[in-house]
Amino acid sequence: MRSHGRRMGPGVLSPNLTPLLDVVLQLITFFMMLVHFGTRLDGATKAVRLPLAPAALPGSDLTFDRMSVAMDAQGRLLIEGRALEMQAQAAWWAAQAKARRAGLETLGEPNAAIDELPTVVILRADRAASYRAVRRALSEAQDNGFAHFSLVVLRSQSR
Amino acid sequence: MSTGAGPGMGLSPLVPSGPAIADGAAPRSQAYRPGPPEDVMFPVTPMLDMAFQLLAFFILTFNPSAETHIDLDLPATPAALPSAPRGEAPPMLARNVDSDLENDVLVRAEADELGDLKTLRLGDAPLPDLSALAGRLRRYIQLMDGRPLRVRLAADDRLRYEPAAQIVATCQAAGVAAIRLTQPGATPELPGRKLQTRKSQRSGASP
Repeated sequence: MRSHGRRMGPGVLSPNLTPLLDVVLQLITFFMMLVHFGTRLDGATKAVRLPLAPAALPGSDLTFDRMSVAMDAQGRLLIEGRALEMQAQAAWWAAQAKARRAGLETLGEPNAAIDELPTVVILRADRAASYRAVRRALSEAQDNGFAHFSLVVLRSQSR
Repeated sequence: MSTGAGPGMGLSPLVPSGPAIADGAAPRSQAYRPGPPEDVMFPVTPMLDMAFQLLAFFILTFNPSAETHIDLDLPATPAALPSAPRGEAPPMLARNVDSDLENDVLVRAEADELGDLKTLRLGDAPLPDLSALAGRLRRYIQLMDGRPLRVRLAADDRLRYEPAAQIVATCQAAGVAAIRLTQPGATPELPGRKLQTRKSQRSGASP
């Protein structure tokens, strides 16, 4: 059997490192392709503990036109670090819809005022929030023209 | 002719001429014959060091996100479109009233005092858990023969968001085409409550 090492001289053995290097470079490529530098953490906040739904399917990529909204355990929307009470939420949704319609009109969208908004609302609601609060937030968004929603959940306990 | 060196010896020094011939030794050819090529040793170790450092970096920063998202397409209510000129709004599917709403499968979730899921029903049939719901929905989808199955979720207002999200995720994973959420406070009466009401009416009517 032929030795894989290369004998340089008496007592000096130089192992063949090429296969090792191949494997290491393949591992580096694997991790480089899987690495996410915050792309999946859009709107993440430590104030929200996401619900655990193991049955959820792996999510596809989110569209560019999206709006992240977080909801705490009390059912309040967390906007830019402050919590919006229930009474102020409707006004906030209306302001968001108005701003987005204005943006669409600026972009030359002819039916911006009458169509459903193409924005995807990404809702990161706390697992302890009530279904009523979540449903109310979705209803208020619907009342203002939002039609596409994405509920963020965990498929397994994160580290 | 060989210089006298064995194979594998590489470049061997030329045999000195002159004196050896003069001494009466056998004449040797001075023609150069190259031996097997010498291996060029590329220093792999620094490269391997860097590769291992990169590998360690990626392993330490590798955090596979467990997050996923459940997509919901809920139609915007007509009241959301105040700027539409009367009669000029183009008819959109999402804004139309679902004509076959009665054919949707109704999933009802009732909560206990703590907000946990107490009772789960598909139509009137009680289900033990979410896996049973998924199995029933898959069977429905097979029976639908390619037609999309839609689910209306009527959850108790007291229910916490987590079990509600689990129900929605289960429906989505089972292959349901669309999920509708009933309005808050619009939880339909459960059969048990109906029976109770009828019984109480009977008992009230009877002398």
